[in-house]
Amino acid sequence: MAREGKVSLKSSDDELFDVTEAVAFESGTIKNIVEDIGTASAIPLPNVSSKILSKVIEYCEYHVESQKPEDEIKAWDQEFVKVDQATLFDLILAANYLHNKNLLYLTCQTLAGMIKGKNPEEIRKTFNIKNDFTPEEEEEARRENQWAFE
Amino acid sequence: MEIAEVSASSTEEDTPSLLDRLDSGLSGRIFSYLDEPIDLARITAISRSCHRFVVESRCFRDLCIRICPEVSRFNSVMEKDKMCISGGPSSSRDLALTNLNMEHRVYGNLAYELIRPPVESCCICEPICASSTDNYPRESIIWTLCPSDEENGMPSYWSSKGENDKDVSETLTYRLHKNLSVVHEVKLRPFEAHFQRGNPIYSPSAVRFRFGYSSSSTRIKSSVLDGSMSSDRSPCEDYVWTYISQEYPVLQEDELQSFKLPRPVLCIGDILQVELLGRVQRQRTDGLYYICVCHVYVVGRPLYSMSFDVEGQPRRYILKYLGHQGHPGMPFEDI
Repeated sequence: MAREGKVSLKSSDDELFDVTEAVAFESGTIKNIVEDIGTASAIPLPNVSSKILSKVIEYCEYHVESQKPEDEIKAWDQEFVKVDQATLFDLILAANYLHNKNLLYLTCQTLAGMIKGKNPEEIRKTFNIKNDFTPEEEEEARRENQWAFE
Repeated sequence: MEIAEVSASSTEEDTPSLLDRLDSGLSGRIFSYLDEPIDLARITAISRSCHRFVVESRCFRDLCIRICPEVSRFNSVMEKDKMCISGGPSSSRDLALTNLNMEHRVYGNLAYELIRPPVESCCICEPICASSTDNYPRESIIWTLCPSDEENGMPSYWSSKGENDKDVSETLTYRLHKNLSVVHEVKLRPFEAHFQRGNPIYSPSAVRFRFGYSSSSTRIKSSVLDGSMSSDRSPCEDYVWTYISQEYPVLQEDELQSFKLPRPVLCIGDILQVELLGRVQRQRTDGLYYICVCHVYVVGRPLYSMSFDVEGQPRRYILKYLGHQGHPGMPFEDI
């Protein structure tokens, strides 16, 4: 049973995290659940592992704190997203599931930044995407936007 | 291009790409953060599913609208001489895919054009008319296309008629080279009358720009070049304005002043109207307020590979891709 003003969150691997209401309500999803069923029992988050949930909580705890200068926040955010690719994808999925707008924006922007400026082969390597074009199809795709490949 | 369905069973590496874990909403969101057309173009060359995603999510159209919101005016597209197909024996899914692929190619080309730098020369092709002219043809609008304030030993400028009321505005109307252009800025040089005592500068108080097209079925002839428009006020044309700029204050200085648009604008239509708002300078001899302009110059890029049509009531705008123009082997030279 959570203490006064606290919300208990349960990860997919059954680990419990106690956080303040302010931190919990950074997630639109959690806020809706609490409005329905209250904070008496732990809120189950079957889509989020403990590893990822603790990262999300770390993000929310930092952002919920009182006003900080914008460039300090930006620098902290950039450090926060220095994670391996699999973790970044997990964070995107978690932010989407939890309806945390700012975290979703940050993580998606980071992923877009990994795509920007790369040619198709580099992007394939970075994300392990199989090139399933036939040579003719690939030629046609490149010819559609010839200007991009000169 | 039509991409075949990917076969269900994959034989080789079964390690899925992390990108496969993202649903289409998330992929679309991530692609929308790519604000450069070249990045989106490269994505279409990665794999069949990437290509299909970009086509079916209409990513290039969305990108064009983000770069130039005026692009949202277009209701449909046409490629060379093929309209979007709306009937026939093919399944509706095939039809939809054919149309989406056409739309993808048209907006992909538009995206490329929207980001190209301006050309070296002025986008104005010819003058159409002025709202009033004091001494025609000596002070006609045609002189605003010469950069200098003197031509063959004679002063080169356009002058409005004189007014008692400072608030009476004027317009100068021009035709651009093509009916689609990307415009970055308009430059204007007010006229300083060196031949009058005190060298008065007859600048307007402010200026505003309108881009659009004529809804008359016959093309508006330049009423200046054939001499039929003398000093009378111009008739009311049926112009449809597709972009109207903010008002820009004008300095009372004899210099080519630059009025940068807040972002490059896709001008839908070949008509530019320069609105000269308010008068500041009285002429000593008659006590009337005049506006005189020495030079008008448009910085931008006319589009040779694209055009548009308007039809019907309510109006439907059709964006047309004409195929890239240019010499084979040198398709993207500066034309």
